[in-house]
Amino acid sequence: MSKTIINIKNLHASVDGKAILKGINLEVKAGEVHAIMGPNGSGKSTLSSVLAGREEFEVTDGEVDYLGLDLLELEPEERAWEGLFLAFQYPVEIPGVSNMNFLKTALAEKAKHKGLEPVSSKDFLKLVKEKSQLVELSDKLKNRSVNEGFSGGEKKRNEIFQMAMLEPTLSILDETDSGLDIDALRIVAHGVNTLKTSENASIVITHYQRLLDYIVPDFVHVLHDGKIIKTGDKTLALELEERGYDWLVKDLV
Amino acid sequence: MTFLKEKIFDIKTSPIDSVEVKNALTQVSEREFPQRKTEDWRYAKLGKILNKNYQFDANEVTDISDFLIPDLEVDLVVLVNGFYNEQFSKIKSQNGVTILPIEKASQLETFKNHFNVLAKESQEIFTSINTAYNQGGVFVWVDKNTQVEKPIYILNINAGNGVISNARNLIVVEQSSELKVIQRYVTQNGTENFNNALTEVFVKQNAKVTIEKIQDFSEFDRQVCTEEIHQEKDSNFVINTFTLSGGFIRNGLNIKVDGTNCYSEMNGLFIGKGEQFIDNHTRIDHLKSNCISSELYKGILKDNATGVFNGKVIVHKDAQVIEAYQQNKNVLLSDTASMNTKPELEIFADDVKCSHGTTTGQFDEEAIFYLQARGISKNAAKEMLIGAFANEVIEKISVDAVRDFMMSKLT
Repeated sequence: MSKTIINIKNLHASVDGKAILKGINLEVKAGEVHAIMGPNGSGKSTLSSVLAGREEFEVTDGEVDYLGLDLLELEPEERAWEGLFLAFQYPVEIPGVSNMNFLKTALAEKAKHKGLEPVSSKDFLKLVKEKSQLVELSDKLKNRSVNEGFSGGEKKRNEIFQMAMLEPTLSILDETDSGLDIDALRIVAHGVNTLKTSENASIVITHYQRLLDYIVPDFVHVLHDGKIIKTGDKTLALELEERGYDWLVKDLV
Repeated sequence: MTFLKEKIFDIKTSPIDSVEVKNALTQVSEREFPQRKTEDWRYAKLGKILNKNYQFDANEVTDISDFLIPDLEVDLVVLVNGFYNEQFSKIKSQNGVTILPIEKASQLETFKNHFNVLAKESQEIFTSINTAYNQGGVFVWVDKNTQVEKPIYILNINAGNGVISNARNLIVVEQSSELKVIQRYVTQNGTENFNNALTEVFVKQNAKVTIEKIQDFSEFDRQVCTEEIHQEKDSNFVINTFTLSGGFIRNGLNIKVDGTNCYSEMNGLFIGKGEQFIDNHTRIDHLKSNCISSELYKGILKDNATGVFNGKVIVHKDAQVIEAYQQNKNVLLSDTASMNTKPELEIFADDVKCSHGTTTGQFDEEAIFYLQARGISKNAAKEMLIGAFANEVIEKISVDAVRDFMMSKLT
């Protein structure tokens, strides 16, 4: 029996007083890939934001156990130190902060928290070289300011590069496929698949089945109006691709 | 006692024997201090400066080691409360370079031909006060075809409490020569001093002058600081102004580009906290064709600090093919900090490329969250963004040791 990485129980969250998540239950175990699908406005991005610790969202009920920790009590940076990683739907451009300096600081803060020595400059560069190859990120991009002037595809590859550098236990990929052409999609998926081990897990949030051709999920969940209304295996994604969401929603009534 | 408001100056007039000083004395009596409705001074609460008795003091300093810049060889000029300080100034002769206290230079032809030529055009009463009542200052003269190796470091020290000083400097860089100047303003063990410094700079044909200006006073010191610059054809002038501390700071920077094919650059970084007031007024007059000017001022304001930026770019009728760029970007780190910004472009020529832009905002919360989500704590993320914001100006410093010094001051 694999160990549980995250266990979400009856999670309710709202923004500006408006309820968005209305009782999410989800358990993710080591070695698993979970896909969360659903129409626009179903709460997919809210779920990823709440798990990563974005302040605007207020958790009104429920609990999230992450590796034995009360996740909702942790600051966003503490969640990162504990191995939670969010690949942003819209990675932020930060002019003046170099990609490398940013990653080095991120790794150093995590090491400090874990009571470890910070990685040496030499090892850091070695790691950068190895991990950037995984997503075919050029030196030119690595040395620029964080995401500044990157194309949509480059930004998403940079997210997966950061994921590779930080070696998370739980990765949440928020619409990582949006805006990607098929080549970029393949590169991103290859990165994610290579990083998969029996010790870590991923939650892949997506609109389309397309990404799931490349990142094959163990479970597919359909989110609607803040709740998971159906769970299945990868064939559910194919069915959704063919039939849309309406038939599921009708079943509810 | 010196009552600025009543214009009662019981301090000695300038040691320079010149008709300019006599004219300035008349101007002081005739001119008024700016009022709240004086457009160029509307945000400055001058009451703080004017309604106070100042004394006139030659307070000696005993140690200046705190104010030296590490790993930098310079010709050092120390001015204490406006007086040229022989004890701490250290000048080794560099070929083609003359550095003298102004009172000793005042009979030189070059001095006489340039002194007050630019400043007398000004309508500001503080300029007249400086010309009439300066205690001293430095004259720097670089002969033709001289690349001055070591920068000249003019260290201005306010020493004492409630002291008024009016340092006056004149810099003349002749044809095809190059000079770097560091002008720094500090306080030693004192408060509520009023420093009214003025520097005139002549950049002759094909010459290049760079000034790194650092204002680093104690929390309640005040300053009205003026630079009057004149550029001849083919010349290059750059000034970077860093305002780190001081209670009330008003900078007036005026550049006359009076020759073709010139390059002018003005950059600034100001960091206000507490109740600080920092006002940057700049004006560049493009009088001749084929010139480029570029301006970037960035402000970081915390607590209850107030910032002002007013940048005038005037392209005169006969100045064609001018490129003039101006930007002012500010970050407010509290709800009670405020910034007043006003770019002014006046263009009377037709073949001109000008741009200006200004932004004032808070740090991008999304960027802070992004850094946090990668494991960088909120405070470290903010520091990182402040550093990145400031860096763009610090990188423009042309003297490596000064750039490192500024980096170390800000981190």
